Amino acid sequence: MSASNQLPASLIITGSRKGLGRALAEYYLQLGWQVAGCSRDTSDLEHPDYRHYCLDVADEVAVSQMVSSVQREWGNLYGLINNAGIASMNHAVLTPAATFNRILATNTTGSFLFCREFAKRLRRESSGRIINFSTVAEPLCLEGESAYAASKAAVESLTRILAREFAPFSITVNAIGPTPIDTDLLRGVPKPKLDDLLRRQAIPRMGTIADLCNATDFFLRTQSDFITGQVLYLGGVSA
Amino acid sequence: MTQTHPPIESIVLSTLRQLGEDFDLPALREVNLSTPLFGEGGALDSMSLVHLIADLEEAVSESSGKTVILADERAMSARQSPFRTPETLIAAIHERL
Repeated sequence: MSASNQLPASLIITGSRKGLGRALAEYYLQLGWQVAGCSRDTSDLEHPDYRHYCLDVADEVAVSQMVSSVQREWGNLYGLINNAGIASMNHAVLTPAATFNRILATNTTGSFLFCREFAKRLRRESSGRIINFSTVAEPLCLEGESAYAASKAAVESLTRILAREFAPFSITVNAIGPTPIDTDLLRGVPKPKLDDLLRRQAIPRMGTIADLCNATDFFLRTQSDFITGQVLYLGGVSA
Repeated sequence: MTQTHPPIESIVLSTLRQLGEDFDLPALREVNLSTPLFGEGGALDSMSLVHLIADLEEAVSESSGKTVILADERAMSARQSPFRTPETLIAAIHERL
């Protein structure tokens, strides 16, 4: 039985090849959920209840096909965790337009497309849960993260508006803003910058996968059907 | 010239009838190819249009095995909405298949 008090059903987790997405996939598989993940590249995650799709999350047709395929195979789709994300830490003056657009495409367009296709498939069901991923870089206005933080600010806005648009379908839409957690995304962030960031949190430590799973569990609970349009930052960061 | 394929016509009309039952829309119970759907005098409000588009995409995908996105940029920027009548909807689906 899941710690989320939700009978295991099926769940889509984007960006599940590595990092937080991979950890979330393994966590929910271990709790008995069926998990469909995706990434640009193949995954070595092998489990009878895991399906991996190779796609670009900004490819409209590919996203539609994946969500359809998951619903067709398992028929009990309940949750979507929009984890796929890329970052490029650089001063705005040194950020090429192509980099900015690539970050928006993956982080914002990708989240939007999965939300839209998920809602299409679940609009006649009695419940559904969408969890988008933001970042503490947005409320903390971190220098050097203009493209990443802007893409996540858009995700927060999507979260609040889709919460209203999808409420008639009994689908909740919330977002989590994790603090730094030791993953590939942090590779290349200088230690002094990381230490400075941690000092700005109410609880100045790195986040853990368990911190994150606690928050996803909360939003996935059936009892959380009155909680929507919220952005939950970890570590005591507030907007 | 777009050829009318009976299966698509049949999918569109049966989807509309089902929608009429689900959302209690009397105008859709006896729907024909020229029944006004969306826009002036249309039977659908914006929420039932959302359901129609999603139902049709699903039904067409099941029937043809192809993924069709009906609410695409072409549809949204067209001077005349493809969602006006079943006939224009059928044409729009054929254009995208």
